[in-house]
Amino acid sequence: MARNDRIALAAILVGAALGMADVLASLAPFSEAGGARPASEDEQRVWSQAQEFSGIIGKSGVLYQDGALDAYLQQVMDSLFPEFRGAIRVRAVQAPQLNAFALPDGAIYVNTGLMARFGNEAQLATVLAHEGTHFTHRHGFRSQQNLKSNAAFASVTAMLGVPILPQLLAISSIFGFSREMETEADQVGYDRLQKAGYDPHESPKVFEHLMREVKAEGVDEPFFFASHPKLKERVDNMTRFSARAPAGGGGTSRADYARTVQKLRVDNLEGMLSMGRAKSALLMLEDPDHLAELPPYAPYYLGEAYRLRGGEGDSLRSEKAYLKALADAPDFAPTYRALGIHFLKTGQYSESIRHLTRYLEVAPDARDRKYVENYLQIARNKKEGR
Amino acid sequence: MRRILLACAAAFLAGCVAPPARVDVSETRAPDQSYMVDLPTGWIKHTQPDKTLLVSRDGFPLQTIILAHAPLERAFPRTKKAASETMLPSELAELYISELKNRDQQLSVLKVIENEPVRLDGRDGFRSRVSYMTPRGLEMHHVSYGLADKSGFYRIEYAAPKLYYFDRTLGDFEKTVASFRLTNREKTATK
Repeated sequence: MARNDRIALAAILVGAALGMADVLASLAPFSEAGGARPASEDEQRVWSQAQEFSGIIGKSGVLYQDGALDAYLQQVMDSLFPEFRGAIRVRAVQAPQLNAFALPDGAIYVNTGLMARFGNEAQLATVLAHEGTHFTHRHGFRSQQNLKSNAAFASVTAMLGVPILPQLLAISSIFGFSREMETEADQVGYDRLQKAGYDPHESPKVFEHLMREVKAEGVDEPFFFASHPKLKERVDNMTRFSARAPAGGGGTSRADYARTVQKLRVDNLEGMLSMGRAKSALLMLEDPDHLAELPPYAPYYLGEAYRLRGGEGDSLRSEKAYLKALADAPDFAPTYRALGIHFLKTGQYSESIRHLTRYLEVAPDARDRKYVENYLQIARNKKEGR
Repeated sequence: MRRILLACAAAFLAGCVAPPARVDVSETRAPDQSYMVDLPTGWIKHTQPDKTLLVSRDGFPLQTIILAHAPLERAFPRTKKAASETMLPSELAELYISELKNRDQQLSVLKVIENEPVRLDGRDGFRSRVSYMTPRGLEMHHVSYGLADKSGFYRIEYAAPKLYYFDRTLGDFEKTVASFRLTNREKTATK
């Protein structure tokens, strides 16, 4: 290579290095809400895509509609990231999967299925701090610089014209935050948690609990929190960080959190059962502490979960749970219908007639009235030997 | 709906199914010979590789009638549940709606508008009507009839945007349902 060529090459390399330094400098974490805006056209493009995703989530009807819960989530997030008030926006997504994800523009989504499983506010804060850090440290945009992530993103948006929701809700997987970014989110998130006054010893428990559930369920969904190796890393990191923290801290009241999310937990249970996820529902409902935090009619859902699982002995288990629901909440109509159908199927026609009749008395406008009237007729016919 | 279109295009390009054809003669035998039905003439019908029959007048994204038959043990593949001929209609409807909810995220939050027992070809079945939003915010309505017989689980569905299209061809769908009959004439006793 001629000397002039070598000088030219060196100049190019130095220039490239300086350019890279500029890029890296421009990717420094945001420091406060006012400065949290795109620094380049590329980043603006990524933010626009994120806004488009949020628009689709809004239009698709999957957002959980509960103003009080939105306010609560936002209040916890703002306590973790006070200087980013207004820049980080949290919403709950109505979905039973164990997932939460951050978009590059500061929109954060937490599935109701995940929120329902937390034991207290400190555990919720652990996940919000982790996701918030993905935004403040611009992990979404940085991931977009990765060719593979771009290809995945393009395949979602271009192939079908608009992204479809399953891919959308697995967005954290699509953006493919690297191991380093996840570790950074653990570390910075942990610091935020501690600074906000939450008990840091709760942080590993979140992921330990989720890991047990993912293992028990054999979940293979492409969601971030359902990924067993990643969960293991979260547990290891949080255990290491919290080992040196002093005992104590806030946000540990089970009762306070249970009161705040009681409606969400019931809605989530109904959603799970209506999707046939009986095993997941049982993991929660068979925990006496969890069951005790639900309304008095909650054993009805336990009965439903056994009925839907349909394993050996589940018929008797469901009957027992329904009867407990009836004793604890005699005005809850669905229990009568469930028992009426159960007794119809087990040949106890008098009991079936009694409960189905009571169901129609308690819920005269029931949407399934025609079904129940049919079953009543079947039970009467059977009782009379017709 | 876009998925249906993509599946049709892929299957057609792969040369494994007949291209969509106009319904000239109303009386139609199922691709797997399991039922007979009167389809609206002038509509377009298309058979998928799994023998599911799709019918539309204005285009599949605008309205689709779906007729499908599956063995009882493979009635609900997403939830891995089986149907049985002894199931109560509400139980069958419950499993069917559960399967719908597992089709994709928008459907997972569908709203059940109607769900009632019906008679289909002299057998007990169900009719449900649900609504959901597409990613573009378009409200879709989806009516389904289902019945389980010893020969399998049958479903007849109709999906269309609520805006303009749903009411426009709902009557054609209901006529199609009324004409549905199983070719297996040995009818099972009703429950």
